[in-house]
Amino acid sequence: MEQRNGYVNETEVEYLVERIKQGDKEAFMKIVEGYQQKVFILAYSLVRGREDALDLVQETFMRLYEKIQTYRPGENFNAWLMQVARNLSIDFLRRQKSRKKDSLDALDLERMNLLSKDEDPARFNPGEMIHKAVTRLPEKQRLVFILHHFEDLKYEEIADRLKISVGTVKSLHFKAIRKLRKTLAPQLGGGLE
Amino acid sequence: MNKCHKYKKNWVAYLSDQLEPVRSKEMEQHLKQCSACQREVEEINKLFSMTADFKAELNEVRQAVDWERLPVVITDRAWKTEEGKKKKPVFSWPDRWKWQPLIAGLIFGLLLGAFFTYLIVKPQKSAFLAARQNSKVSVPADFVERVDLALARRETIDYLDRSQYLILELLQTRKPDEVSTILTRDKVQKLLTEKKYLNDQLDQVKLLKAKAICDQIELLFLELTQLSPELTGAELQKIREMIGERQLLLKINLVKKELQQSEV
Repeated sequence: MEQRNGYVNETEVEYLVERIKQGDKEAFMKIVEGYQQKVFILAYSLVRGREDALDLVQETFMRLYEKIQTYRPGENFNAWLMQVARNLSIDFLRRQKSRKKDSLDALDLERMNLLSKDEDPARFNPGEMIHKAVTRLPEKQRLVFILHHFEDLKYEEIADRLKISVGTVKSLHFKAIRKLRKTLAPQLGGGLE
Repeated sequence: MNKCHKYKKNWVAYLSDQLEPVRSKEMEQHLKQCSACQREVEEINKLFSMTADFKAELNEVRQAVDWERLPVVITDRAWKTEEGKKKKPVFSWPDRWKWQPLIAGLIFGLLLGAFFTYLIVKPQKSAFLAARQNSKVSVPADFVERVDLALARRETIDYLDRSQYLILELLQTRKPDEVSTILTRDKVQKLLTEKKYLNDQLDQVKLLKAKAICDQIELLFLELTQLSPELTGAELQKIREMIGERQLLLKINLVKKELQQSEV
């Protein structure tokens, strides 16, 4: 799989982080290679713009480099990095929202209402709909949804990466789908009982 | 429907192919018979299909990115920023230990200098203040101040009275040889000594006008002590003119009046 080309395991991450702390450029590049696509997927799922997502990838790794001295061995590096990416993406969305001086949520609802099932199907963009709905999911549910559907990770792999149990992953996935079904009920042509 | 409840929470995992084969088989069997669950599965499938659309879009975008170049770009940017940060400070903190002895020496020198300067120019307590502080009687500070002021006023008035007396006698004298009988060295010297004692008090309390006039009187008396006992007519005239020019008697009267009024 393409995104796993630069895959780095946990032990390797610890070693690479130590090397970066000592100023090793190659080690930093390896970390970027290993995690860039994961960060991109998360950022793109939230901002849905190629250039914006790529900027966020750069910002995430720049922030990682600035804060690398605060990383302590044994911490969940992946979760740490994804948290940075998520925060930057949310900040980006906030800035965009204030720039437009328009409530994103209000806009979403408006669009969703406009695109009811009675409307012209040509105007219905499933990609956009799902993206908007995913951004409104609670943090953990969104992460599980993205990892499973966009990164093709199995429940066990997600549990391992997020350091939670498989049962929790299953529950979070179920809740995410239930919420999405609720939000997208007009487009799905049904409703939750 | 009750049976459905058992399966409801598992349809997502079933469609995601995340169930054990046995459980999956069981779900499949139920699905064949249950129309409500079929509708549910159909809806979830629709959602998954929408997700797949977004995923297709995401993959398309991902394929258009040069993933080999991006790490190089990011790494270069990070290192450039770091180098920029390192270049900025002229005084770098890692080198500070080199400067520490010098800085410590300077600070120590400054402190030592300040201490000795203080010792040299340390304001000396006047005898007047010291006496006041050494007294064991504890009274409010403003009361002591008022008493000091009143005493200073009285003594100044007394001094001015006697000086005025002496000056008047001097002005009324017709013959220069009579002056020596009026201006005995004792009288003048006594007034000069008294003035010295008064100086201290006049400095402490705010009696500026009184101090100015007392100073002028003192100057006059000092000049008188310099004169020879056998005063010439011209010299006597000169003294009278000086008293007149300086309007000493008028000033003494005014100051006395002022002091007496403020005393009331």
